[in-house]
Amino acid sequence: MALVKARKIDGAKPAGAAEGGDPLAWLEDADPARRRQAAHALGDRPDAVPALSARLTREEDPSVRETLLTALVRIGTAAAAAALVPHLASEDVGLRNGVIESLQQMPAAVAMPEVAPLLTAADSDLRIFAAQLIGKLPHPDRLDLLAGVIDRDPHVNVCLSAVEALMEGGDPAALPVVERLSGRFPDDPFVAFSVDAARRLFSGA
Amino acid sequence: MSLPSDKGPSDKGDTAGLSAADYDAFCRFLRERTGLSFTEAKRYFVDRRVSERMAAVGVEHVRQYLNLLRFQASGEELQLLVNRMTVNETYFFRELYQLDCLVNAALDEVVRGRPPGSRVRIWSAGCATGEEPYSIAITLLERWSRVDEFEIELYASDIDSQVLARAREGIYEQRSLQAMPRDLVAKYFTRLDDQSWQIMEELRDSIDFSLVNIADPQQMENFRGMDVIFCRNLLIYFDDLGRREAASMFYDALSPNGFICLGHSESMSRMSSLFVPRRFPDAILYQKPQS
Ligand SMILES: C[S@@+](CC[C@H](N)C(=O)[O-])C[C@H]1O[C@@H](n2cnc3c(N)ncnc32)[C@H](O)[C@@H]1O
Repeated sequence: MALVKARKIDGAKPAGAAEGGDPLAWLEDADPARRRQAAHALGDRPDAVPALSARLTREEDPSVRETLLTALVRIGTAAAAAALVPHLASEDVGLRNGVIESLQQMPAAVAMPEVAPLLTAADSDLRIFAAQLIGKLPHPDRLDLLAGVIDRDPHVNVCLSAVEALMEGGDPAALPVVERLSGRFPDDPFVAFSVDAARRLFSGA
Repeated sequence: MSLPSDKGPSDKGDTAGLSAADYDAFCRFLRERTGLSFTEAKRYFVDRRVSERMAAVGVEHVRQYLNLLRFQASGEELQLLVNRMTVNETYFFRELYQLDCLVNAALDEVVRGRPPGSRVRIWSAGCATGEEPYSIAITLLERWSRVDEFEIELYASDIDSQVLARAREGIYEQRSLQAMPRDLVAKYFTRLDDQSWQIMEELRDSIDFSLVNIADPQQMENFRGMDVIFCRNLLIYFDDLGRREAASMFYDALSPNGFICLGHSESMSRMSSLFVPRRFPDAILYQKPQS
């Protein structure tokens, strides 16, 4: 028969524990598997936030990067959220997306105070990310912050991401806010289109 | 039974009596230890099982019970509770299209370039009562043309010690066997009585069954060099973060180019950017990239 008896794997016996030492030290190991292992182990250590974040800046292996992000989400403190935010400005799309997803998975009360200030960033791309993210955070300030974008942001694309975020939230209280955008950009066909779409969505038509 | 409760009158109903704060604390604890994530909607389900176990051990307050779970050195009570909380439903040849995919395409890819006689490792993580790993074994023996060229190791694990004991025993009733062709039942099973069949000893002996919590990094570290991992119909009970963590541990357990098979309602896209979705004629599997 082609099936052979599998060697016993003893799940109860930790394999790596014997190696000992502080996982913080393995974060810079040359072996990606070891770095992943370190990140896993640091997922419950708030004191590891600076080291995880520093490694994230340099990390090129996508699997290690994912594990670093997961560890920061798991730690879930304000410091962990704050450590993620600067990476939103990265040139690396993969990293940026990973950071957006990670902030979204953190408690809204922790993520919001870190993300909201980005709404006034000089870079309009950052403001767009912030609007998208805020749309996904279940937080009481969500509507007000996005309304602020729609009423004040100079860049039409940022306003449109706020519209989209509000539509995703599906709260009918958002409709009058969205409609105000037509007043600010009366000649923009895409604004007209989006406001129309929002009306249809919220009226359930 | 009912438990002393500090709930207000608005909160009545037939749940056993975890206050909102206790329920939260409880779910957080379970999430950390087992990856299992229970929302408010599951409150009745959780309440019932917790109060049952509290009665069994003779503890009156939820906090006391939580402490027992936390600090009992043997971990026995946590295991008993977990056994009550998991949903172990499964049957032979469930989601057959993935087994088709395994023998029609994926395994050929896994062994490409490997010399005859080398090992192939397949792991059913969350195997419940064993139907999944035995289905894999039978499918390989019956339908993979190169099965005799390789030494195939089958691993199976679950967090629930009771279902594992039943998996090792390999005794099944009609309900589990419904999707299985009669001739295969006749070939691989012995009829015990009207109701039950036992899978042949050779198959029972070929699978390594072990107690593993896939949310525990230390336990997961023992699994390395897997070529295919089946993890079907259990990540649905995990939250987003739990799924991400599981994905990254499976990543470590797989060999390069290895595959992971999820249940049909589970998608890896929300869960991780680690794997490449591969579309085969029979199914979509997720593959660990070469490097
Ligand atoms: C619905 S059954 C699925 C069985 C089989 N994989 C299938 O698809 O038919 C889910 C199994 O996952 C197990 N499980 C749940 N959480 C687990 C965990 N953290 N680690 C390992 N197994 C777990 C449960 O005990 C249960 O037996």
